[in-house]
This record gives sequence, structure tokens and C-alpha cells, in this order.
Amino acid sequence: MSAPATGPLRPDLMDPRTLAALGRLEVISRWLVDGVLNGLHRSPKKGFSVEFAEHRAYQPGDDLRLMDWKVAARADKWLIKQYEEETNLRATIVLDVSKSMDWASAPTLLTKRQYAEQVVAALSLLLLRQRDAVGLIRFDDQIRSAIKPASRQLQFTRLVAALGESGGGPASDAGSALRQAAQAVKRRGMVVLVSDLLLDPQDVDDAVRVLRAQGHDVAVLHILDPAERSFELGVGESLFVDTEGGESLAATPAEVREAYVETVAEAMAEWRARLSASGAVYEPILTTEPFGVPLRRAFARRQRLP
Amino acid sequence: MNFLTPWALLLSVAAAVPLLLHLLRRRTGDRVEFPALRYLLRAEREHAREVRLRNLLLLLVRIAMVLAVAGALARPVGPFPGVGHPPTALAIVLDNSASSAAVVGGSTILEAEKRAARDVLAAASDADRLSLVTMDGEVRSGSPDALRTALDALRPMDGAGDLAAALRRAEAAVAAAALPESRVVVLSDGQRSALAATVADSGSVPRSLYVVPGARPANRGIASVRLEPPYWNPRGALRAQLIGDSVAWRVEVAGRSVARGRSTDGVVLARVQDLPRGWHAGSVELDADDYRGDDRRYFAVHVGDAPGLTADAASPFLREAVATLVTSSRARAGGQVFIGSALRARRPAVLFAPADPLEITAANRALARAGVPWQFGLKRQGPAPLRGASVDGATATQWFSLTPLDGARADTIARVGSDAWAVAGEDYVLVASAADAGATDLTVRAAFVPWIDLLVSERLGAAEGRALEVAAAARVTVPTGVDALEFPDGESRPVAATAQIAAPSVAGVYFWRRGAARVGAIVVNAEARESELAMMPADSVAAALDAPRGESTPESLARAAFAAGGRRALDTPLLLLALVLVVAESWLARRGHAARSAD
Repeated sequence: MSAPATGPLRPDLMDPRTLAALGRLEVISRWLVDGVLNGLHRSPKKGFSVEFAEHRAYQPGDDLRLMDWKVAARADKWLIKQYEEETNLRATIVLDVSKSMDWASAPTLLTKRQYAEQVVAALSLLLLRQRDAVGLIRFDDQIRSAIKPASRQLQFTRLVAALGESGGGPASDAGSALRQAAQAVKRRGMVVLVSDLLLDPQDVDDAVRVLRAQGHDVAVLHILDPAERSFELGVGESLFVDTEGGESLAATPAEVREAYVETVAEAMAEWRARLSASGAVYEPILTTEPFGVPLRRAFARRQRLP
Repeated sequence: MNFLTPWALLLSVAAAVPLLLHLLRRRTGDRVEFPALRYLLRAEREHAREVRLRNLLLLLVRIAMVLAVAGALARPVGPFPGVGHPPTALAIVLDNSASSAAVVGGSTILEAEKRAARDVLAAASDADRLSLVTMDGEVRSGSPDALRTALDALRPMDGAGDLAAALRRAEAAVAAAALPESRVVVLSDGQRSALAATVADSGSVPRSLYVVPGARPANRGIASVRLEPPYWNPRGALRAQLIGDSVAWRVEVAGRSVARGRSTDGVVLARVQDLPRGWHAGSVELDADDYRGDDRRYFAVHVGDAPGLTADAASPFLREAVATLVTSSRARAGGQVFIGSALRARRPAVLFAPADPLEITAANRALARAGVPWQFGLKRQGPAPLRGASVDGATATQWFSLTPLDGARADTIARVGSDAWAVAGEDYVLVASAADAGATDLTVRAAFVPWIDLLVSERLGAAEGRALEVAAAARVTVPTGVDALEFPDGESRPVAATAQIAAPSVAGVYFWRRGAARVGAIVVNAEARESELAMMPADSVAAALDAPRGESTPESLARAAFAAGGRRALDTPLLLLALVLVVAESWLARRGHAARSAD
């Protein structure tokens, strides 16, 4: 998708390839976050000071320090002040950097990993600007790197540096990564899994259930190359080889496209159903979609946090 | 089916290409890394049957596509059912012979044929060239509306007509249209007596046949009418042969009923007298039945005074013959008509050759003096049978060859072998044998006197001209001296003497006229075979008319007239088929694209 022909450019709505060509990851992320924040009607930021929320009737045993004495003096009503809890979110982003993520269906497209890193960087920056704590766990068949959640300004630099590290293992062990994320987030927080979900669903599901049981908000961003969705590969009869498992299958895209598309749709529906049942949010994202889309979704979810 | 460019069929070998690709495709192709292979495996596993079916369909469609293109390039020409038809030259031969007037299933056979013809015309297009040919040989061409109008006006003719001639005219009509497709549609009553012999080879023009179904009615009718004698002087009798017995009949002459009765033996015998002198039209009529075509039969009779005859005193046979005719009031004694030897030739006369060959020269001189344009020639010896009206069964033992002079116009009324034995010209009859038993035994046979009576009545008597019974629409030569033909309604139409004309197709009596005088007649009646209504088996009718088969309904006939037998170039339909197959191939190959886009 390209930016509108008129008006100021919104980085979050720019074509990912165009935006990626502009510069380093952290620069891109700042642009993106600025775009997202500019596009919102209302800031979701809250909780940096003690803010009054509502009154309720006094119940015996309530802390008298919370009594609204002014109302009691004025109206002879005993009301207890309730305040919104000042909560800095602790988020951990779990990024799949397995070999399957290092794939793009065309040279002109970002690989799923490149796209995911842009999303992770932008999301991290967005959270940090809200003074939330953000951590990162990168995994393939093992944990490649783990940065505990922190809200310091240096945290973004560390995250960006970590995103530049290697990966590309032959498999994905999302379960252990998610479990490690649960350990990293002691308090209730948010865990965002960014992956192409070429994983063992049961493994992921088990881990998500554990996270949800611990009270964490879980979101799964399913990164998809467009060709993985449509099987539009522009090739004829070919031998298709799995990038991780080494399995292969001879097929003609034109002949199996319909069945493939149906299968992918079914798989995505299964992921959505499975994760919804576990209380997690599932969002499929194509690597050709503007970055703003996942950020906006993530931010909207942040607003819904308790 | 024919191919205009049959070599293009070689391209159909290309149909093997998709098949080979299909068989070999598992061995070809590049290696492509694809991380979502698990979905592909699952799709292959879950949709294997569907994928195989679609692959098979794709294979078949691609092969059919190649074959359709190769077929189109070969430019086939053949039958092509469906909408429309190529411009067609179509002639409808409608059997409106007399038998088509028979009532079958509440309406006449002709009406059923008309309905079938209208169905055929309804299937015609403006590009077709249409003709309607009837049994009288008339060809009507024009638009469907014009032919429908012609059908409305069409009536059964009073004769059998000529089906073979009608078919030839129909083929000529479609040939003249010069269209690539042509067809002759034959609508027939399937009458066995009319189709007993194979009618005609269809040649290059295909035929479609429809025979009006339904049981034919039982029929009573008049097979023939004979006047005894042919000319009434002035008395006479009429004998009619009937089909069926116990039939009431009535004889009418000159517009008045002269006899009536009921026949129980299939014969009508009516004696008539006291008729006014002159030519009269008459008819014998029966009570109506389901086939009216033969319930009335016409005749023409001349009523006049008995001719006066003078017999040659030298011949006892001739003297006795004339005496017998006078006694029976068939002639008067002492009239101007001479019955005798050519040695004493004069006119009018019945002249016999001399018995002695030495007298031939004298006889020829006498003939020349009398203005008879014939001469006796070489003597011939028999015995040899005689052939001709009223002389069959007799023989000639001696005769002389008859040689015409320049300008001689005469009818040969009897033959002996290949020679003329008796010729009749204007007011003379010349016989090649002498009137004695040594030259011919006719003189001693019972037929001799009636034969003399016939010659005198028809050729030399008081009657002027002859009555000739002909079939409807038959070719007739106009007699010498005739200038008009008088129709039953009294109207006279001019004719050229000695020309050939078509007899009217409506039964009746038509008089030849010379000025105001009637000088003979032609009598039009349906042929006796038209009274036999029995049908021929359907297969036999088709064989007789050289048609592949008979259509069972007017609707199937209409389809066959333009579609089933129609041939047209099939390259365009095949190209359209190929186009449809291309679309189908594209749809099959890219099915699911829309669903994916919608996601």
C-alpha cells in the first residue's frame, strides 16, 4: 500500500518496503510511532498520577484515609474515593527468528523476519514512550536472546541491538520461549508473540494457557508473506521444499491453489479459535501491510488492559 | 462429414502435448523453498481427490481445446442441429393428385399435407429459397407467406399427375437457387398404385418424406365409361364399370338427367335416345363417399344422323358389312362415304388395297387422283398379327407397304408387324390389305363390322372430330383446324393448331372449337388407379422415393427439412467451442483466486 498522493505522509501507512528503505530500524521505528500517535484521536496514556475514578458507599472496614471528607461535610454522605491504579505495563515481545521467518516470496518484499523486526521495534518504542516496560525474547529452536522488560530509555537501544543479532535456526520452539517470557514478566503484563506460526499449535496453546492463567494479556501476531496466503508464486510445476523440516512436495500452484488457500484459511481459523479459547488475541498480518496496522491493533489492546 | 482442409487434422496430434505434460510433470520443475509447506501438504492430503479430479478435468479440457482448434482449422462441413440453419434451397413436392381428396381422420389427405407444408414453411428463414411443386408440374416460388397463400388456394387435381416429373422440376428449382444446401420435401398420400414403381433417383438433392398417416377409407367409384358406339346416330348406349356394387347411379347429358338406377353387379348400362344433334358433355355420377374423386366420371358424345354409306359392289364382305350397319340403323344406304377398293378411290372413303399386285399401279394412280397422299409399295406376305383398336386378334396374310407422299398427315390406326396397316387422314382411311379373306381374316371376324362402324363414325361419319379421354394435365396435341378450347363454364380460350398444350387439371369436358362450331372434345378424368386408395408400407414408400426414411410427424419433417439433413461449415462452432474450453480451462486453473482475494 502506498501513501496517499496528497497531504502529509503518515509513516505508519507507508508501504513497508518504502519505509524500510529510509534508514535504520530505530529511525524507522520512531517515524512509525510518531505516525501512530498522530493518527490517534485520544491518547491512551494514563496512570502516571493518582487519578480519581469514582465514589462508593463506605463499608465498615474501609480505610478511613480514603474517605471523602468534603462530601461528608457538605452532604453528610460517607463515600469512599476510588482511584485508578497507576500501573506501568510490563510487556514482553517474543519474536520468532527461525529459518522460516527468513523468507520472502519475492526479492522486492521484506522477509517475514525483517517485517517482524520493524513491528517489534515500533511496538517497543511505542510502549517505552508510554513508560511501559518492554522486554524481548528471540527464539528459533532455542532462545537466541532475552532482554528483561525495562522502561529505561536505553532499553530501546538494547532492543534494537538485539534485533540485529543472528537467528535462523532450523526449527521453532515457541513453547519454551513463551514460558521464559512468563518467568520474565512477574507481574501481570502483556506477552506478544510475533511469529509466522509455523509451530506446533499444541505447544503454543499450552504456553498461552499458562500465561493467561498467570493473568497476562497475550497477543499473537501471525506474520504471513502474501504468497503463503495465496500461493501466488509465479512458478509452474515445482518441487516445494520446507525451509526448516526438509520435507518436499511436487505441485503446480495453479492446480492446488484453491485447496491451499482453503487449507490456510482453515489453519488461520483454527489458530484464531484456539487462541481465543485460551483468551489470547490473534491477528494475522501480511508483510505487505503498512506497519501501522499491527501497531494500531497493539495499542488498542493496550488500552483494554485492566 | 467432410473436411475442406483435412490436412489440418494432423494438428490434432498436438492433443498429446497436454497428456505428455500431465504424465511427465511430476518429473519436472524447479526446487522452490516454501516455509508453509505444511499447509501445502495438508491441502494435498485433504483435497487430493478434488485436486486429482480438477487435474483430470484440466487435462481433458486442454486435449479437447487442441482437438477443437484442429477440427476448426480442418473446416468440417456436416450436419449441425440447433438454432438456425444455413441458407437452403427447399422445394416442397405436394401430392395433390386426385386421391389426396380422400377423407382421413375427418379431413382430406391434402389438408394434412398442407399442414405439414406449413410447418416446414414456418421453419424457413428469409435466406432460404422456397418452391412449391404440385402434381400438375406447376412450380410456385417465393417467400413463406407467398407459398402459404398458394397452399390455401390449392385444390386436389382430378388426376394422378406425374410425381416423377414433379420431382425433376423440384430438383431443377433448387438447383437454380444455387445455394450450398438443398433439399426436396415430399408430402405424399403413400398410394400404392401411384408408387408401385420406383419414382426417381434423388441424385445429389437429398429428400425428406412425410406420408399422411391414417387408415384409408373404403371406396366406391367409377373405373371407366364407354360409349357404344362412340358416336350416337342418334341413339346410343353407355356402359360404365364401377368399383363396388349396390351403387346408385345417374347419367347426365347436356345438363339433364337421362338415366338412373342402381347397380348390383358393378356395371352401369344406360341406353339413350332423343338427344339433340351436336356435341354434348355428359357424366355418370354415384352417391358420395369419403373419396369424391371418382364418384363422377365425364364423357363427351356427338349425336348426329347416321352416315350414308356406299359399298363397293365388287366386295361381298363390304357389301354385307354396310348392309348390316344399315339394318341396325348405324348407317344409311347410299350415302357419300365410299367403302371399297382403292382402284375406285374417292373421298370420303375407307379404301382397301387391291388383291392383285398387278393392280397396284392403277390403285396408286387412283389414290393420287382422289388426293390421298399415300401410295402402295412392295407386297408383303404373312401371316402376321394385326395390332390396333378393334383389330387385335386378327391377322394379315398379304399386304402392301404404305408409303406417305410429301405432306402426308395421317394417324396409323393399325399395324402389322412394324408396318403401318391402316392409316387415317382427313376424310379417308387407307388399308394395306385387300378386303377379302385371302388377304386378312379380319373380314370374316365378328369385329369387322364394328371396326367399319368405328372408322366411319370416328373418321368419316357425320361427326366432326373426336372425343379424346386424357389424364389431368397430360400433354395434348391441338387438332388441325382448331382455334380455341371451350371450358365447362362456357369460356373459350384460344389455342394454336397442332401445338401441344397441357390438358386442364380439373375433370370435365372441354370442346375443341373451330369458330363457333364444336369440332371435338377432350375429356379429363382421373386415372382408374387413383381409385385404389390402399397405402404402400412406409419403408417401401421411402425406397420408392429414394428418401432415407419417412418422417413420422410434421414437426420432425420440419426439423429434417432444414436441420437434420442440413449441412453447414462447422469451423465457427468449433472455434466457439475452443473459446469456451479456454475459458473453462482458465476457470479451472485459477479457481479459488476470487475466494482468496475476498479473504
